[in-house]
Amino acid sequence: MQQFDYQPYDDKTQVARKIERYPLSFTRNPIAPLVRRPLTLSERTGPTGLARHFGAGALDLSRSVPEGPRAVGQLIRVGGRVTDEDGSPLAGAVVELWQANSAGKYIHEMDRHIAPIDPNFTGEGRLVTDEDGGFNFFTIKPGAYPVLESGWWWRPPHIHFSIFGPSWMNRYVTQIFFPGEPLNETDLLLNAVPDKDVRDRLLFKFDSTTMGDVSSIAYRLDFVMRGRRCTPALD
Amino acid sequence: MTTSPYCTIGPFFPASFVDGCNDLTLTDGKCAKGPYIALTGRVLEEGGKPTRNTILEIWQPDGNGIFRNPLDPRFVDADPGFLGWGRAKTDAEGNYRFLTVVPGAYENRCPHANLMILAIGLTRRLVTTVFFSETPAQVNDPVLNCVDPALRDRLFAKRDPEPDSRGLFTYRFDLILRGENETPFFLD
Repeated sequence: MQQFDYQPYDDKTQVARKIERYPLSFTRNPIAPLVRRPLTLSERTGPTGLARHFGAGALDLSRSVPEGPRAVGQLIRVGGRVTDEDGSPLAGAVVELWQANSAGKYIHEMDRHIAPIDPNFTGEGRLVTDEDGGFNFFTIKPGAYPVLESGWWWRPPHIHFSIFGPSWMNRYVTQIFFPGEPLNETDLLLNAVPDKDVRDRLLFKFDSTTMGDVSSIAYRLDFVMRGRRCTPALD
Repeated sequence: MTTSPYCTIGPFFPASFVDGCNDLTLTDGKCAKGPYIALTGRVLEEGGKPTRNTILEIWQPDGNGIFRNPLDPRFVDADPGFLGWGRAKTDAEGNYRFLTVVPGAYENRCPHANLMILAIGLTRRLVTTVFFSETPAQVNDPVLNCVDPALRDRLFAKRDPEPDSRGLFTYRFDLILRGENETPFFLD
């Protein structure tokens, strides 16, 4: 059976842990260095059967019920692939996503922004990657919103992703941003990725415009999960 | 190819992604083999301040030490009622709670569960391991052995001496993200 080989994340390819003007990043990260440990079966395995457990499937976030009215906003389609570091597709991976509506409002008890809730938009859903690691979903482009407690910071439009790779070692959570947004220049989180090439990987890529029953603007995004496929030596 | 960058979970993780997920004893309509336990505690930041709205995820083997994953050589014998994965969210006092089973030992690993923490202020996840032995000093585990001996006790859940009114034993495990009595976390 093929196994995966996992190395610790290279900090140069990752977001900084501590960010100036983001106080919680200083009070929540440990003082002590992170401890290197061996990887055993426990870390190399991860949950299976989540798609059935969650009832995840095809996803259209642009309306809250099938055949119901569309949410207000710019209709977009996002497509992409989830692969490992060798480019091998990760089939059957559950992807959770959530986002603000077009006015920049989440349906969440912590959201105190005055923007309205859209009754036709829940802003959340789960999908499963196909045999080629591919995924596709419709939604509306999220709006920007203020981080009220900061006194100055507006988050640019972004969509949150949470991906269950094949093991505990590639359980992955991120936010993906839209190219060309002026607020991208000042966003503390996006700019906490020091390298521009790495930072660009947190941006959707414009793909195409489509005409038809559901005309939309298409964006593309590929995720690379930690891990290389390796075949263990035979005893 | 290089791995995609993480970013923080933020404050608005949907409630529907959490509700009910802290109960690991029921999977696809089947009940896990007991006895069940509560694993509960607080997630605290610097100064012992509770963190609200922190997301925890757990990954553990069943009561016989079998993971529900085909990499486990005993996978076919895994408890069909036990997924092994769960998710919880802290309340305003920083409390989280899982309903689960005591993970079984296997091979060279002592009873343990993997935990990860996602919260605002954390741009990447924090990962650690909680151990369940009643006799921490005697535990010989390859992951625990990487931790400074003086700090190992911080990775053990403490069992309440008596079960609750329903016969459920409670294991307490606080996660201190930073500062005094800081929890050891692992390189990810």
